[in-house]
Amino acid sequence: MSAPAAALTAAAGLLAVVLAAGADPARGERVFQRCFACHSVVAGEDTLAGPNLRAVLGRRAGTLPGFRFSPAMAGAGARGLVWTRTTLDAYLADPQAYVPGTEMAMPPLTEGDDRRDVIDYLELAGR
Amino acid sequence: MRRAIQALGVVLLVLLPAVGQPQVSVQAYDLPRGGGHPHDVAVGADGIVWYTAQRDGKLGRLDPASGKVDLVPLGRGAAPHGVVVGPDGAPWVTEGGTNSIVRVDPRTREVKSWPLPEARGYVNLNTLTFDQRGRVWFTGQNGVYGRLDPGTGEMKVWDAPRGRGPYGIATTPDGAVYYASLAGSHIARLDLDTGAATVIEPPTKGQGARRVWSDSRGRVWVSEWNSGNVSRYDPRANDWKTWKLPGDAPRAYAVYVDDQDTVWLSEWSANAMVRFDPRTEKFETFPSDRRGANVRQILGRPGEVWAPESGADRLVVYRTK
Repeated sequence: MSAPAAALTAAAGLLAVVLAAGADPARGERVFQRCFACHSVVAGEDTLAGPNLRAVLGRRAGTLPGFRFSPAMAGAGARGLVWTRTTLDAYLADPQAYVPGTEMAMPPLTEGDDRRDVIDYLELAGR
Repeated sequence: MRRAIQALGVVLLVLLPAVGQPQVSVQAYDLPRGGGHPHDVAVGADGIVWYTAQRDGKLGRLDPASGKVDLVPLGRGAAPHGVVVGPDGAPWVTEGGTNSIVRVDPRTREVKSWPLPEARGYVNLNTLTFDQRGRVWFTGQNGVYGRLDPGTGEMKVWDAPRGRGPYGIATTPDGAVYYASLAGSHIARLDLDTGAATVIEPPTKGQGARRVWSDSRGRVWVSEWNSGNVSRYDPRANDWKTWKLPGDAPRAYAVYVDDQDTVWLSEWSANAMVRFDPRTEKFETFPSDRRGANVRQILGRPGEVWAPESGADRLVVYRTK
């Protein structure tokens, strides 16, 4: 491969990484309005109906101290479910199918872009 | 007293009542694929039951006499939450997915929408009620409440005091409108002329008032999610009374007061419906026979109390006559 071709390939790869990462957390914050009634990403805001989602990526499902999770979510965590970009994406795409019995009533977030952007937002909120 | 329900599609069980309470028979209706996960339910004077199939973006219609279910798609992106039968006999819906108030013609199934002002953004529409002037009042869980006049199409939306949380809403027999704020842990009374909301604090701090309903005397009953209490606000006396539901760690999601002024609640820790007699202050518990039934709302008509089991894909009726 020639040097220009390699450079082009590298640039395309970088672009793909950026696109895959989404990098649109501002849009993700708007998508998060669907979650906002029950969830917060503000540290210490922990009296809502759903668990605080600050730093949710990397957290074992159903384990946030002080929050009372459904048996379904606690069980999923006990069986090893950890929130990653991949598992969150699958959960948001169809919460009831991914964790049957979850108490979260939010309907499936069917658009992949919405899921990617809201996960971007959550990822940033955890830093 | 706890009694298992053996509900399987058609009738089932006649349950012996507590002293002074009518006996209860329970019947469950399985819902079809593509029209399950019922969130809210409403029964009209004709006995037809409407429910929101939130996950599938549809409004369901159950004829309890035949068990037949019809589904009305509400359009792309729909995720309906609340439903009531209006004074016109039609189901009216808080259509959360499209941020609209929706009416479905019960005969033609025509769907008519009144979108919220675009500038408001997504408000997470929750529940609605009619006032005695034929206007729709609704809540948006992200921190608003509003009013639609179907006659003129005029819609107004107000910021809720204390922000996010407006959840269940109901009209009392004397025409007052109250809503509950889940995140705000209070109820609020609405001024039907100005739209102003007056916050009223239940005695238990951080109780998580989730839904409200009125008894025949205009007293407001509140299901408290965080505390597991049911409480009653008497507007005339400006007084509260509170009772803890049975069990170790109850969570009261929905409340409804029937035509006999008996209070019905859904309690998630016990996965049960609970009947409370304010005269004797006794609770009766009716556990579901399905795990995680997750009843999110209750509504009825004389002799019938309907409970949508969102986690079991069925509608269950408790008949008291």
